Amino acid sequence: MSSRRFALSMLLLLALLALVAVFSLGVGAVFLPPSRVINALFHPSGVGVKPTDVAIVRDLRLPRVLLSAIIGAGLAAAGAAFQGLFRNPLADPFVVGASGGAALGATLAIVTGLTWTFFGFGPVPLAAFLGSLVAVFIVYFIAEVGGKASAIELLLAGAALSTLLTAITSLLMLVRDSTLYEVFAWTMGGLAGRSWTHLRNSAPYLLLGMAALWLMARPLDALAWDEETAASLGLPIRRARGGLVAAASLTTAAAVAAGGIIGFVGLVAPHAARLLFGAAHHRLIPASALLGALLLVLADDLARTVLAPVELPVGILTALLGGTFFLYLLKTRQQELRGR
Amino acid sequence: MKTLKAQNLTCAYDDYPVLQDLCIEAHPGEMLALIGPNGVGKSTLLRAMARLLHPRHGKVLLAGRDLWNTAQRDVARQLALAPQANGSQRLITVEQAVALGRAPHRGWLLPLTTQDRNVTDRVLEQTGLSRMRDRRVSELSGGEQQRVILARVLAQEPQVLLMDEPTAHLDLKYQSGILGLVHQLAHKDGLTVVISLHDLNMAALYADRLALLSDGRLSAVGPPAEVLTAERLTEVYGVPIFVTQHPLYSTPMVTPVIDRHAV
Repeated sequence: MSSRRFALSMLLLLALLALVAVFSLGVGAVFLPPSRVINALFHPSGVGVKPTDVAIVRDLRLPRVLLSAIIGAGLAAAGAAFQGLFRNPLADPFVVGASGGAALGATLAIVTGLTWTFFGFGPVPLAAFLGSLVAVFIVYFIAEVGGKASAIELLLAGAALSTLLTAITSLLMLVRDSTLYEVFAWTMGGLAGRSWTHLRNSAPYLLLGMAALWLMARPLDALAWDEETAASLGLPIRRARGGLVAAASLTTAAAVAAGGIIGFVGLVAPHAARLLFGAAHHRLIPASALLGALLLVLADDLARTVLAPVELPVGILTALLGGTFFLYLLKTRQQELRGR
Repeated sequence: MKTLKAQNLTCAYDDYPVLQDLCIEAHPGEMLALIGPNGVGKSTLLRAMARLLHPRHGKVLLAGRDLWNTAQRDVARQLALAPQANGSQRLITVEQAVALGRAPHRGWLLPLTTQDRNVTDRVLEQTGLSRMRDRRVSELSGGEQQRVILARVLAQEPQVLLMDEPTAHLDLKYQSGILGLVHQLAHKDGLTVVISLHDLNMAALYADRLALLSDGRLSAVGPPAEVLTAERLTEVYGVPIFVTQHPLYSTPMVTPVIDRHAV
């Protein structure tokens, strides 16, 4: 695919995302047709525009739709990076320990009833953020014994630590069963009640993390080829890998802090992007991000409407859809999945 | 153009010694082939010469300068290593894989320049890959994948070229294609080439000098006719070996002596 065609595809995806977003702003307890959504968005003080429409669209739904788009994009971009870095198609932000760390952090905050805040973050997202960063770095340092960490060691360390952290989380939930539901709901992942504050707090980290990943696309290409080749091309391996782990973890942690644990977006979106646009990371990362955004915005629409007026945690939906899709991929496109 | 010299090189993996006090020198414009039985340290020597393995003792000098006193990227601008191809499942395209070779010159964060694209186009043409530039590496045959690796190291525009078994698993056509190209790079473009080969006859046909390794030491080095003697090969390989003269080129031709009654 030529660069021009790729750029055009990205513009088309962006336009599609905008269309889906307008539709999504109309979806919910009160359905608004696109014309009313557009009026409320762009002519809030126009003639015949209802103040309630403006409040619903601009104050309630817009931050949520934008947040789901950027969380989906961040998880997918981080997933693409982890898959390349670990040369493993099953790697995603949660396999490498981020999920276990975030869950434990959030659980600790809920169980101990922490109340501190920082830059507008409440204690639960903040603890989740720290938890996932700490977990990924523990994994990284355990695997890096002797100055060298192989991809497989990182993946194994991630799996082991995740299991350990999940066990501790479950133990805490049992011991303090009064907080059971709150923790449980958080680990399902959900975007209910997210406001402009949540968006303002997490968007900078997500954008920064994604930009850093995109900038490191070529080192990622070399590392995904193999580490010896990357080294022989003059890439400082440890520094490049450290930078990539840091950027992908920051992105994941910010996404987890804002939306809880939303699985499978980081696994499925990069695979779809790879099938459509190839495996070179300077294309794969933006393409994954756009597909991830599209996926999570649509999933959140479903979460809001399937069992209305009850809202489903979007994490359950992404796991259902993503899991099915992944099994289908595994059966039909084995060659691509095995690849890097 | 640059001479590559290993000086009293001793290498080990953990406590397992591989190379012992080895000295060898490769010159610009020559093709030096490393030969020897499996596991004698040919790949290890190449890795040490490419600054990928830190020697226990001794050093590797590139144009007189210690590799480990030179920045990795500076080394990569002058010296390239083509590792063995191993049935790659990689999904990037041929062109993208070859363009990776431009990284030491361009840096890792900047996009490709027109000059990078020109070099990539040229080496794709040179290795006969232009036609399949947009195909995924995983879709190619073993011989084509080996050519992708060769094209990638050529895109590095090295002055010293190290190759580890570039003809393993290839048929005669691909073997002579690759070795012919490498021979030309040494003789026409003046590159310093060090290449490990299993096929002694191919080594005798194409290489200017052979270095026979045995148990991590240099057993013999010199022109093919001097190194490939029946006595020495029989001792190093541990099977009876017969050496005759190639009917066309009067280089040595090697064949094992087999027990026809047992076959």
